[in-house]
Amino acid sequence: MVVAQGIVKRFGDFEAVRGIDLTVEPGTCFALLGPNGAGKSTTIRMICCLTPVTSGRLEVLGQPAHPGNRALKRELGVVSQEDYLDPSLTVKENVELHGRFYGLEFQQARMRAGEWLEFMQLGTKANAQVRTLSGGMRRRLVIARALMGSPRLLILDEPTTGLDPQARIVVWTKVRELLGRGVTVLLTTHYMDEAERLADQLVVIDQGRILRRGTAPDLIEGVVGRDCLEIPACAPHQTQWIASTLGEEAGSIERQGDTVLVFSNNMDGVIERLRQACLLPSPYYRRRASLEDVFLRLIGRDLRE
Amino acid sequence: MVFRRNFLAWTKYYRSSVLLNFGEPLTNLLALGFGLGAYVAKMSGVPFIQFIGPGLLAVTAMNAVTFDMTFEAYDRLNQNGIYQSMVTAPLTVGQIVAGEYLWEGVRSLLYGTIFLIVLLLLGLVRSWWALVLPLPLFVTGVLFSAPALWVAARASNHEQLFYYLTLVITPMFMFSGVFFPIGRLPGPVRDMVEITPLYHVVNLVRALILGRLRPGLIGDSLWILAYTVGLAFLPVRVLRRRLAE
Repeated sequence: MVVAQGIVKRFGDFEAVRGIDLTVEPGTCFALLGPNGAGKSTTIRMICCLTPVTSGRLEVLGQPAHPGNRALKRELGVVSQEDYLDPSLTVKENVELHGRFYGLEFQQARMRAGEWLEFMQLGTKANAQVRTLSGGMRRRLVIARALMGSPRLLILDEPTTGLDPQARIVVWTKVRELLGRGVTVLLTTHYMDEAERLADQLVVIDQGRILRRGTAPDLIEGVVGRDCLEIPACAPHQTQWIASTLGEEAGSIERQGDTVLVFSNNMDGVIERLRQACLLPSPYYRRRASLEDVFLRLIGRDLRE
Repeated sequence: MVFRRNFLAWTKYYRSSVLLNFGEPLTNLLALGFGLGAYVAKMSGVPFIQFIGPGLLAVTAMNAVTFDMTFEAYDRLNQNGIYQSMVTAPLTVGQIVAGEYLWEGVRSLLYGTIFLIVLLLLGLVRSWWALVLPLPLFVTGVLFSAPALWVAARASNHEQLFYYLTLVITPMFMFSGVFFPIGRLPGPVRDMVEITPLYHVVNLVRALILGRLRPGLIGDSLWILAYTVGLAFLPVRVLRRRLAE
């Protein structure tokens, strides 16, 4: 569906994307993760044919992606980061008009608008003014609008940023339903739980480059370790002891404030070893490692300002 | 389709829009026409109000599109992302601009025609030639959309739009023969006025309403067409760059 080879985007002196390779398989959900300013949105905008690549090869649905390729744009559904809804129009008018931009006939646009609004659970809001909608509804409306061209590839740029938990779950459910219908989904997010729930394949991007790629479980096992042991209120010298006791057993150890995090693919072994060495204070907390741990490991824990 | 969007949006606010676009020229017409007109002898052989009526009609057409294509277009580009969502759906920048021109042409035609009816009711329309007016009004709408849209696409805030209004539109309004014949202006000023598009629109509109057809109008029409064609492509490149950022 999408094949990128060494794509680069430069704005003047600034290189936002510095050579990214990726392949999105049909019918899958592919996620781009990364901190703000990592180059996710720029990558997405190139794939959406909104901005040209500076260099590299980019093919979407087998066609070269560039802003002049209207035939290709017609095949894509795009949910941009900002809502870009027309405040002068009603919910239905926004969606219908977008369908007309996609080249649908009036009747067809009307029918599809009804269907997709229903699908996104906005059927009852069809005649409401856009400005009266909640954030979650606006987002669903933007997705309904993006579906008007019956796209084979749906591109979501931070689809749930700023939404409350209920609204996020609705969006996720709908995205999964679309995946079930065979739509390919490409999304960017900086919510790890979102990527973990939705994505079949993901890449972590930072400073315009891909740091890692794989499935969520692969990344978790490969980068940190399947499980995590959190030991709070741990002094630095204790950390040293833990590290030397565990040796190779621990996948990795890191400190976060005064909490020590021990990652491992063999947590039972780790806990047993610590217990024998009397280094296991209570309370300790065992949990499954998450993409968040992967992300923080790869990108670093420091705030970048 | 862009036209349809604007039409739909316009249907939501047409009352206030019509009122605002008429209030000003109508006030000018009545206040200056009857007020100042009482002290002014005939101008170009007609009563003052008869002279400025057609001029204000031309201004109405210009303003109807100028405000829409500056502030509204600026918002469509910078505030609510309407142009952004249009290029996401597969519209090209050329199509967006063409749609805007079409709409502004109709807007100018519509507002100009309503003003024409007001003139008619005041007994200020003297010729059947006025029936031809919708065509030049449409073209005038397109003409003044182009520079306004160009300004809106380049502006980085609302203040910069005011520069265009106060430095370009208002002087044109005051000097382009709306309120007085330009014959007595000092030479260089007159030369400058003669190259403004509004001057030629005013000439044409006034001639049609007064039924004073003369060969010079062909020149005016050519000026108007030349301006329209010459300016029409101006905003496309800027908009394309802004939307690809």
